This record gives sequence, C-alpha cells and structure tokens, in this order.
Amino acid sequence: MTVVVVISFNFVLFRVLPGDPAKSGMRDPRLDEASIAALQQRFGLDKPLFVNAADPTDTQFVAYWRELLRGNLGTSYEFRNTSVASLVGRALANTVWLLAGAQVLSILFGMAMGLLAAWRRGTRIDVATLLFALLMWSLPTFFLGILLLFVGSNWFGLPTGGRFTIGATYATWGEYLLDVGRHLLLPSLTFTLALLAQYMLVMRSTVIEVLSEDYILTAKATGLSTTAIVTRHALRNAMLPMATLIALNLGFTVSGAIEVETVFSLPGIGLLTVNAVNSRDYPVLQGAFLLLAVSVVLANLVADVVYGWLDPRVGDA
Amino acid sequence: MTVAGVRWLVLLILVGLVAAACGDPPAAPVSDDLDGGQDGGSVDVAGSDAPVEGGVGGTVRIGYAGSPDSLNPGNGVLEEAYFIYEMTYDTLITLDLNGAYQPELATGWEVSDDGRTWTVELVDDATFSDGEPVTADDVKFTLELYRDTEDFPFLSTYPDVFTDIEVVDDHTLQITTEDPIGNFESRLVFAYILPEHVWSEVDDTVEFENAEMIGSGPFTLADYRQGEFVNLAAREDHWDEAPKVDEVIFQTIENADARVQALANGDIDLITEFPKTAVATLERNEDVKVVAGDPVSPELRDIIFNQIDPADCPEDAKCTGHPALRDLAVRQALSKAVDKQQIIDVALLGYGTPGLTLTPVGLGPWFADDVQGYAFDLDAANQQLDDAGYVDGDGDGVRECLPEQDCKDLTFRFNFANDIDSAPREVELISGWWKQIGVATKVQGLDPDTLTSVCCPGYDHDVFLWGWVSDPDPGYLLSAALTEEIGTGFSETGYSNPAYDELFAQQAVETDPARREEMVHDLQRMLVEDAVLVVPYYQETVQAYRTDTFTGWRDSEPRLALADPTSLQVVRPVE
Repeated sequence: MTVVVVISFNFVLFRVLPGDPAKSGMRDPRLDEASIAALQQRFGLDKPLFVNAADPTDTQFVAYWRELLRGNLGTSYEFRNTSVASLVGRALANTVWLLAGAQVLSILFGMAMGLLAAWRRGTRIDVATLLFALLMWSLPTFFLGILLLFVGSNWFGLPTGGRFTIGATYATWGEYLLDVGRHLLLPSLTFTLALLAQYMLVMRSTVIEVLSEDYILTAKATGLSTTAIVTRHALRNAMLPMATLIALNLGFTVSGAIEVETVFSLPGIGLLTVNAVNSRDYPVLQGAFLLLAVSVVLANLVADVVYGWLDPRVGDA
Repeated sequence: MTVAGVRWLVLLILVGLVAAACGDPPAAPVSDDLDGGQDGGSVDVAGSDAPVEGGVGGTVRIGYAGSPDSLNPGNGVLEEAYFIYEMTYDTLITLDLNGAYQPELATGWEVSDDGRTWTVELVDDATFSDGEPVTADDVKFTLELYRDTEDFPFLSTYPDVFTDIEVVDDHTLQITTEDPIGNFESRLVFAYILPEHVWSEVDDTVEFENAEMIGSGPFTLADYRQGEFVNLAAREDHWDEAPKVDEVIFQTIENADARVQALANGDIDLITEFPKTAVATLERNEDVKVVAGDPVSPELRDIIFNQIDPADCPEDAKCTGHPALRDLAVRQALSKAVDKQQIIDVALLGYGTPGLTLTPVGLGPWFADDVQGYAFDLDAANQQLDDAGYVDGDGDGVRECLPEQDCKDLTFRFNFANDIDSAPREVELISGWWKQIGVATKVQGLDPDTLTSVCCPGYDHDVFLWGWVSDPDPGYLLSAALTEEIGTGFSETGYSNPAYDELFAQQAVETDPARREEMVHDLQRMLVEDAVLVVPYYQETVQAYRTDTFTGWRDSEPRLALADPTSLQVVRPVE
C-alpha cells in the first residue's frame, strides 16, 4: 500500500518540475516543431494527465499504471533506445558492486571501533577513535574522494576510475580479480570512511548504555573474562539498535552514492537519478524511485523481523 | 543474534561481494581478432599502455564527460553520440579542418542550370563493415529515411528540402529541391549513410537500437557499455584509409578533476574538454601537450534582451518583458557596457575571441568582419541613457523609467543557464558594469529546462545569458531572429523586422556564394544596429594529449578536433 501511494505521489511530483521532456537537452536550431510534436506523441505526453472527458482510460496516469502492472517500466526519454529496466538494472549492479563491500567494511569497522571506544571510554583510545570518526563524517564525501583519488593515483599508481581496465585482456581469473580489486579499492575506501562514523557512534553510545546495566556488573563480579562479557552480553544487546540501523541503511543503498559515483566514474543509481532529473526523464525517475520505495519498505520489514528475532522480549503480544 | 549468526551474515555478504565482482566478465579481447600475430599494446592490467614497436597498433584512450544517448544516428542528440557516429559512419560530404567542404562518399556534385537538381557521384569501392558495397540505393534510402522520420530530432531537418531523390545508377544519384538552395553541402555533412539492407528490415527505425552500428566508417563498434565506455576497433579494409591504431576507446569520466588526473597519470591519452584552470597543471607535465584552437562546431555566448512587441505576443505566452528593453537606446547602451575582452580573460582565462553576433568568426567568410560592434565605453553608455531621458530621480543609483513606460526603474531580471560553469562569474561582471550606468539586475540561475519553460516561447523574462553551438551553415542560427520563430520558442528575443525576414528568405535561395555572403553580412549588420543581443565571445576549444604514447595528432590546423577521424585515422604509436 505504501508503495502504491509513493508511486502515485512520485508521478505527480516529477511532472511538477517545469520543463518539457520532449525538448530537453535538444536546444538546437535544427529541432523543428514537427519533431517536438512527434516526440511528445511518442512519449504519450500529448494525452491528458489525469482526466480525460472523452475516454477516462486514455490518460497518462492510467497508461503508466497499466504498463507498470504488466512489468513494463517503459523507455527512457533521454536514451530513447534503452529500456528503463535495463538502465536501472545496470545502474543498480554498479551501485551494489561499489557499495556491497563498502557497507560490509563500514559495518564491521564501525562496530569494532564503537565497541572499543565504549569499552575504553574516557581513555585516549576513545578520544582518538571518536575524533577520527567525526572527522570522516564531517569531510564532504566529494572532497574526500578527490583527495584519495589524487593520493592514490599519484603515489600508489591506482587507477583513476571505472570498474576495470577497459579493453584489457586477462590471462587468468586471478588477473581479472586483481584489476577489479585495484579499481574498487579507492571508491570503497572513500565510501567506507564516509559511512563508518554513524555505525561507530551509534554502537559506542549503545554499548556504553549496556555496560552500565546491572547484569554487566554481575557478570564481572562472577569472574567472567572481558571477552566473554563483551561478546556474550554487551554485543548481543547492543546489536538491537544496530540491526535496525544496518537494515535501513542497506535499504537506502539503492539510492546510490552520487558523489563517489561521479568522482570515480562508476555510473550507479545516484548518477542515473541526478541526470534523469536534469533531463526530465520521467520514466527513469519513476523506475528509480519505485526501486527505492520497494527497497526501503522491504528493509523496514526485515528490520522488524530481525528485531523480533534478536530480542525475545519483543513477542507477538 | 549470536556471534555465530554475525559470522554467517558477514560470510554471506562477502560471498555476495565476490559474486558481484565476478558477475561481469570483460569483453572478449579485440586484438586477437584483428591483426593476428601482433600482440601487446592493448593488454593492460597495470594502467598505462606500453607503446608498440613498428609504429602500428595500440589502443588510444580518450576521456570525455558524457556518453552517447543512442547508437541510432537518427536519435542521437548529445555531442558524445556524434563522436561515435563520425567514427563508424561516413557521409557524402565532410568538413575538413580548414572549414571547407570535402568529398567523402561523394566524389563530386554538380547542380543543374535552374539550381534545383543536384547530381552526385559516389566512390565505387566503399563497403559497409559487413562487406556489402555502398551504393546509390543506400544513399537514397538514408536521405529519405531521415527526411520522413519526424521523430529524428536533428537529422530530419537537413534533408527536408529534398523533394525528390532518384537513383541513376549504382554510383550516381540525383537530388531535387523545390527552390534553389545555397547550403546543399552543409545539409549532407551529418547525413550518416546507413545500409539499406539492414535498416529496411527494421520494424520501427526510431525504436531500433542499432547495437551493431554497421556503417562504412574507419572504425567498427567492438563493445559498448552505456555510461561507461565505447570500444571501437579499426577497420583494416576501410575503403579510404585504414587507421594505424588497433582500437580507440572512449571512456566516460564525468568528473573533470578525475579526467585531468587520468591524463596526467597516463590512464588515458587524450581529453577534449576540461576546466581552463587545469591548463597550468597540465602544462607543467612533461608528457602532456595542451593545445587550443577553434572548434569545428563554433560555440558562442549570448546575452538576450526580451524585446517582444506586445502585439506579437503568442497566444499562451506571458510576455512580461521589461518595457525599457524595447527602447533601442537602452539596448545600445547596455551593449556598450559589456567589456568582452575582460570576460574572456576572467571567465575563459583568455581562451576565446570577442563576439559580434549570431555568426561566429569560426564560420570563415560568413562572419561579418565588415561590421563594427559596440566598443566598451561606459561614458558613452551613460551619455546615451541621459540623452534618452532616463534619469535617476530618487538618487538610489538606478535610473527611472520614462513616464510613458509601464515600469518603475531600470531593474532587470537577469537569468542564466546553470549548466554553464563560467556563467555566474560572467553575470557578476556584467551586472557590475551595468550598475555603473544606472541599471540594476536581479540575478537567478536556472537549469536549462526551467529556463526554456520561462523564456521560450513564454517570454517571461528580461535578460538572460545562454549560448549556442553553430552549424557549419550560418542560416540556422540567423533564423533565430525571424518573426516566424516567435511562436516556436526559437526566437528568444522576440525581435521582429520585416526587412530582416525578407533578406533571410532571399539568402536561403541564393546560389551564388558571393552574393549570399553579402546578404548574410547584411543580416548581421541589422542585428548589430538594432542591438538585438550581445555576443560576448566565441569559445576556443582546449584539448590535451599525452606525447609519450601516440604521435601524429593534427593539432596545428585552423580547427582543432582531436577526437575526430581526421586525427584518429592517422595517429600511430610512439616508437
């Protein structure tokens, strides 16, 4: 139901933007009126938006829903020979490629750092990790990306962008993986650094709260080792808010990381969406936002389920 | 969740990561298919290309900012698409680096005495990349297809005056027009000749993806990933001249800094577009050469004044232009208060030529070098406004309107297209000069589509800064000042002058180049005398390439276009 409302709302939202998709990007003396009319007809823009007195089913809104329910996301207005599904699919693959590793690393490192900082609260380690995380969070991702690009390509000979060396031939799978890895290193690092702060900070504050509970004191008193206390008690309880945060973040992964994608030439959903807004490419925007809506709703669902599973107190009551 | 559970989750995600990385194997190597025997040059895991001995082979990598929007020449709109079409297709006539029309698939063309029938001879040994010969049937099919498919935004306009196309024999055809035309050659420069045997089998030529791009050009499409790269392989059997390199790869690097860095590193060999501020950095690099020159398609910057007469206002338009802009004296004064050279120095770092009007200096003899523009003179501008009666009555620094005008004072809305990087700086400079002649501005940048919806044909603006890319023929841009273009939105100024309309109609059917040139100059003279718009500059193009990988770049010609077959067909690896 949420998805239906979101999609309908988006339909209106994109068309509120001033500008005519049939003319977008084609500002040129050679574009004549006949061509504009032909393109508007091809895009279905000559039909009324919602209300058609002559034939209520012949509106843009109805046409959109009809195709959507058939699984047809339409053809892009800008890339008029490419379907929205293939554009969004390709962009999504690139985004996942970029972000999967970065998300995992930022979760792991964020949690580890948060745990460490909380356990050693008040010490120099705590202050150092806190400062590091806040610094990374406050640096604009774009700037961080460019900085790492310059350092990485000048001092370490890392590639300046792309997913792999185009046109290269590989003798073995190992060579291919190495090439991919070298291309993935800087963008992943950028995104990880930008993202780990939030995991770290949430983890730290949750663990601090947990560590102040009575049962931790009891555990210490009964002589349990530090590792045991940390893993079996502190961590398990701190995972509750973390699980929700992780699930939601993963849901939003689908909206891409526009800054990292631009700096490192990895065209993902972020870049696709921004370009589509600029060129009034409604079908692509609708497709991308449909994906986002579904993804976030699903992530929310998963978060609810995981939370219920993690915490026996949250039952079916 | 247990610790074991966390471990499983991590393992699962890592597996997913590896799967994603493995999910996209690269294209089959191209060099294996082509030059049997020669290898090296295109194998590249470490980053930069190792030059090949012998002066043949190798892969040229070009970094550009966008990506083709379609592989179907009819649909393509972006500059990047045209790079690819130029490489994979031929046209009947081409524009050389001197700005002159040269034969390509056509060996010669002649017009009949009445000026309406053109006989075109074709080369007899041209073949498409699938082996089929290029014949007059293909040309007829192509021109008719472009002409009759309105959905093709640009290519449908060029052949629109060709009423009749007849095949005389395999290598000769005749093209007939209703009236004589003065720009026959320029209409064929972008008419990429398509293979009839492929395209006639297609259901919908507009929806046709054209993934194979079968053309007669010097390169073929080897691999393509939308938004990432276009991989072109050289055609050894090209009828004219086989390229000396094996492959050319166009790589999309959107971010300008990353693009400059890629060139500086050696990851790519050529960039055709980058911020002027990076020129100094690149010039310090021993292995990079930076060149500037006139582009093949000249670009201009313009300042548009909304001067539409309320009587000419189209039906749904708002026409809220400031009344004072309809006064010639005001427009002339504003024109005298623009220091073109200063704009070029500050906003373009010197890479431009002061402009005159809608015909760029890059169009050679068409440019009206016999017309004087307005020199930068703030005193003269102030004097002109004083004489015209615009005084600053209330002492706020802004001149008041004349009593008969329906306005308060000379405060103009000043918009600009925000995809032009130098626009904010230019608008700032211009506003500063105008302030000194008692004119205030309210500046607002808008994205191109929004600006179009405001200006054209709504005329809901006062002044804006935008620009055009010019076609080789001056007619297209000059038609922006026609009365008939007011309703279409192409006329941004709303200028209406019957003498201009008439002269334009005359030059369109004038076949004698010298007489047509005179008429085109006169049209420009009218635009200057009526101060219809201000053209601060014509841009130069700045391109940079690595000197240690490939040599033979044609960088000392009157026009500069290194990502074009004129260079890419002749460059060879450094030995």
